[in-house]
Amino acid sequence: MDPLGVTPVVLLACGSFNPITNMHLRMFELARDHLEDSGRYRVVKGIISPVGDGYKKKGLIEACHRLQMARLATENSDWITVDSWESLQSEWVETAKVIRHHYEELLAAQADSNDVDTVKHTKKRRMDENYFESSSHQKRRDGPQLMLLCGADVLESFGVPNLWRQEDITEIVGRYGLACITRSGCDPHKFIHQSDVLWRHRKNIHIIHEWVANEISATHVRRALRRGRSVRYLLPDAVLQYIQECDLYSDVSEQKNADVVLAPLQRYTGGSSS
Amino acid sequence: VEPQLLLACGSFNPITNQHMRLFELARDHLHSTGQYQVVGGIVSPVSDSYGKQGLVQAKHRIAMAKLALQSSNWVRVDEWESQQPDWTETVVTMRYKTCTLNTLPSQYHALPFPSGHSPQLKLLCGADFLDTFKVPGLWQDEHVEEVAGRFGLVCVSRGRLQPEQAMHESDTLSRHRQNIFLVREWMRNETSATEVRRALRRGLSVKYLIPDSVIEYIHKHHLYTEDSERRNKDVVLRPLSKQVQQPVNSWDD
Repeated sequence: MDPLGVTPVVLLACGSFNPITNMHLRMFELARDHLEDSGRYRVVKGIISPVGDGYKKKGLIEACHRLQMARLATENSDWITVDSWESLQSEWVETAKVIRHHYEELLAAQADSNDVDTVKHTKKRRMDENYFESSSHQKRRDGPQLMLLCGADVLESFGVPNLWRQEDITEIVGRYGLACITRSGCDPHKFIHQSDVLWRHRKNIHIIHEWVANEISATHVRRALRRGRSVRYLLPDAVLQYIQECDLYSDVSEQKNADVVLAPLQRYTGGSSS
Repeated sequence: VEPQLLLACGSFNPITNQHMRLFELARDHLHSTGQYQVVGGIVSPVSDSYGKQGLVQAKHRIAMAKLALQSSNWVRVDEWESQQPDWTETVVTMRYKTCTLNTLPSQYHALPFPSGHSPQLKLLCGADFLDTFKVPGLWQDEHVEEVAGRFGLVCVSRGRLQPEQAMHESDTLSRHRQNIFLVREWMRNETSATEVRRALRRGLSVKYLIPDSVIEYIHKHHLYTEDSERRNKDVVLRPLSKQVQQPVNSWDD
């Protein structure tokens, strides 16, 4: 049992992971340190959920490879895991749906370990809208809280037209919560201030400052690989070895989806919905 | 194609992934010129007599560097400098390396080079290093001349530092500009050993900033604590206390 008032937290990171880098892994470490330092949370698990191929992002290589690299990268972590559900979906899945899926999984896992009464109680509460709209985590004593782990750029992207559905943003920050890693030169509080939805749920948004800039973008890593430059120490050795063995990133792979519109934009532009 | 050896001097207190990145970036850059082949890299941790605050014992710094470089097939750790009773000027370490290269070559390089072509030693450093040349009294002029002229520098720029400016402002460096290679790091990575020690003292995670094997070693030997950080506090850095004005080391952070 956790001490009273300490909420177990599961961190979920969604993204391309094309390929996973040390920066992705650092984000988990930073978020755990920050949340646990508050004395209110205990981070029990991290989940990496690579996006499916249906996302149609330029240069996005097959999900099976991105999954395998993420698995190799987390081999030496005792708390970060990789989940294939999202990447196995034939079409792109909204992040809100991915979070919902993982929350249900968490509840199901809990049901296995708890007695029936508690489970019923939890499910009953889950259906209570007021419970979801509440930003008070203390009320969620009986289940782990699921938080979306992301960079400040995701918070910023909430403002990009046609990228997110408004209900999804409300659900993500209202029901679940965000652990948002920010770099110097970026002011996430501004985005929160500028958005009424984010402002309303600001207590569910945890801003985590990176104490040492460690910007390893996957785009940069792919560029370096295409040009035959070293990417050692930017990602785990096991991942680098896998990339070389499978000859993953080339000029050809970078042209994948070159002229294709990103799935979320396709779905939300012009009222078309799938 | 001239064979090259890259030498990095510094505290390595502790060695970080960023230190090892500098070697990778420098090698890529020299290879891209088509004129050089990097046959090896040397990490040369400073000796305990350097007197820098928070400097843990050389035997630990050496052990950590060796663990970190276990998986490298071209960068090695050299203990000579760390074993000297007094702090050694960078140029003296470079001279020593050059002498021993011909007698014990296999110890320092990973790849074979054409016989009769001894590899050229170059000093590998961060961009902030060039700025130390213009600090009054820190370097002897003839040492700057020797490092830049006889050996050569490979300087990796991080963040907003402008090594071009430092080169422009020094007559010696300008004169030897063909021997100074500026390498640009496009990603902002400000991992410093100082930040790593600070995080360790505070019980924060440093995973993925330094290799797992080094983290294990640090925990096993309880290396970075508030006590260890007080080491050499109020001690004047050896280069500054030595009678003659001497150079500072290149990878202090």
